[in-house]
Amino acid sequence: MKKRLLCTLALVTSLLVATTLYAADEAVFKVGVVTELSGSLATGGNVTKRGYDLWAQEVNAKGGIDIKGKKYLVKLYYADAQSNPASGAAAAERLITQEKVDFILGPYSSGVTIAVAPVVEKYKIPMITGSAESPLIWSNKFLYTFGTVPPINFTGATPIKTLSELNPAPKTAVILGSNDTFSKASAEAFKTAAEAAKIKVLKFNIVPAGQDLTPLLSAVRGLKPDLIAFGGHDEELIKLVKSLRQIDYTPKALLMHYGVTEPAFVEALGKDANQVFGASVWTNTAKTKSAILWPTAASYDAASMKAFNTPADYTQAGSSAAGIAFQVALQKIGATPGMSEAKRTELIKALEQVNIDTFYGKVKFATSGEYYHANVGMTPLTVQIQNGKTVIVGPKNIQEVPAQYPLTPWKNR
Amino acid sequence: MELLPQALMDGILLGGIYITIAIAFSLTYGVMHIIDFAVGEWIMFGAFAGYYLNKVTGLDPFLLLPVVFIMFALVGYLIQPVIHRVLSGNKGNPLLMGLVFTFGLAIMFQGIALTVFGFYSNSTPSVFSEGSFFIEKFGLSLTISSIRLAGLVYALAITAALHYLLKKTNFGLGVRALALNRESAGLMGVNGKQTASLVYGLYVGVSAMTGVLIGCILSVSAQMGTEYTIFAFFVVVLAGMGYLAGVPWAALLLGMVQSIFLIYFNPGHTLLAVFAILYIILLISPRGLFGRGV
Repeated sequence: MKKRLLCTLALVTSLLVATTLYAADEAVFKVGVVTELSGSLATGGNVTKRGYDLWAQEVNAKGGIDIKGKKYLVKLYYADAQSNPASGAAAAERLITQEKVDFILGPYSSGVTIAVAPVVEKYKIPMITGSAESPLIWSNKFLYTFGTVPPINFTGATPIKTLSELNPAPKTAVILGSNDTFSKASAEAFKTAAEAAKIKVLKFNIVPAGQDLTPLLSAVRGLKPDLIAFGGHDEELIKLVKSLRQIDYTPKALLMHYGVTEPAFVEALGKDANQVFGASVWTNTAKTKSAILWPTAASYDAASMKAFNTPADYTQAGSSAAGIAFQVALQKIGATPGMSEAKRTELIKALEQVNIDTFYGKVKFATSGEYYHANVGMTPLTVQIQNGKTVIVGPKNIQEVPAQYPLTPWKNR
Repeated sequence: MELLPQALMDGILLGGIYITIAIAFSLTYGVMHIIDFAVGEWIMFGAFAGYYLNKVTGLDPFLLLPVVFIMFALVGYLIQPVIHRVLSGNKGNPLLMGLVFTFGLAIMFQGIALTVFGFYSNSTPSVFSEGSFFIEKFGLSLTISSIRLAGLVYALAITAALHYLLKKTNFGLGVRALALNRESAGLMGVNGKQTASLVYGLYVGVSAMTGVLIGCILSVSAQMGTEYTIFAFFVVVLAGMGYLAGVPWAALLLGMVQSIFLIYFNPGHTLLAVFAILYIILLISPRGLFGRGV
């Protein structure tokens, strides 16, 4: 009898605890995060993770998202896309069907984002990617997918334009792109912009991802291009600079995207990183002002230094801005955790109307055309590494310092 | 055609890197019949060891090679009994178990590396990294990178050292006997377990040294291993599984094909060409280029 009583008591207690936990969980926005935490794109994936983490930490430190006077904490549920589109899609499905997340912060890479987008479309779960830049995502016109970093065909022309205004302007170019969705789009954007700027493209190649390109660069050396532009990811960029140094060819300008703005690029290459050009939409010196979370770019960078002992780049900043966009849209419609399908549709409408100034810059999603649901509120920048720091060298009206051009030969560094 | 000498030279230098990746991998298969899917991860750990030792001591990575070899050879020597236990079990298919076990090790090593070393890519500086030789004669121009040349010299030195060890020493005789017939070798007084441990230690040590070299020539990251596992596998299959003498030729062939394809054909199809060639060669000669594989 006593044993039965004890059993009943234990059952009732555990039910009570479970109910309390469930109730506690209800007061929290469950935020799914699908990004590349391992595999070949782990660097970029973890940079987005830092951005998402920093947003969640800051929101929770302020007591949560204020919805009609009541504050709701956010809790991030991570799923590793393993740098593989199929794994990314499976991870998103698991977050939606098992974790029952309210909305999703999306992947680093365009390839994984394109695989995840149909899944969030199927389950009608809003997603904002804080990083993906391929125009292919936006030309598909996914209703439930948004992005805070503008597409590369929106930003890619700016560095080429900056270079074409230098004296003497580059006359010839070799443009290479790694064989993935984003890198190919970067190379194509550079090519289109170079042709528009009357820079003769001597060679345009999509190359195998991650491979040693030294033999190809030896051939490029024979063409003596003024400009070498490369679309790829962090490690590929490091390998390419090292290869150019090893074959001892210094073009007048070297333009690379994405990875130049990552602190690791400078750390790995040291003095050889100097004078490399890149594309960006944000630096920690950007003149932005905001009333939400971080008042300026500098204060965000300081928060990043405090949290990760690393300065922030635009991918990390864009990822935090993705969280802010959700936060503002949720407040606007007065959504609470555990949103219904109707509420999530309302959230999409609210996101489409977002027009806010953040530490990252203006976030405003296009509602039609080729940039559908991409952020078009930003000004594309040309950046250059000077003395180990990322500085804005174009467009002229927001230039911080003049571009260093042409590149100092590798041997004289 | 003026690019041909450069293409051939780049192919040879690239082949040098592939020799270092595959030579010890081939040895360990020949003796222990292990297809070690963690080869790329040993290379990655070696690359990080070189990177951090260089940072701490300030010594050139080439001077650190013996230190890295000893450290990793010891690790390999100590790990081998675990692998031996998996391979010598009487349940299931030991060869398949070995494959699954090393595949698991590779995934675990990647996870450990990501957690311990972080996700950023790094590069190891060396005194050889910055120079190159430029030859211009008879209307032809040729650039030879010092660091890649040093890599080729290292590859040839390792190949010669392994050849000497196997052909001219009593230890090598024991290793070859073990590779031919484990039981008979045991009856002739070869300590199978210890020899296998020494060979695995040798393999892990050489792979780690290769990692140091790759860190100087290319880059160092927690994600780098898979790519080198694929290349090691390619070279060893092309050379003939376990046929050590075929490795340099297979590696040079791979380097040449890659180099020529990158320059003269569509670079985007380089890997397709490389694997198509492997497929065709294996169709004609299933035991590798020289028909001497297991």
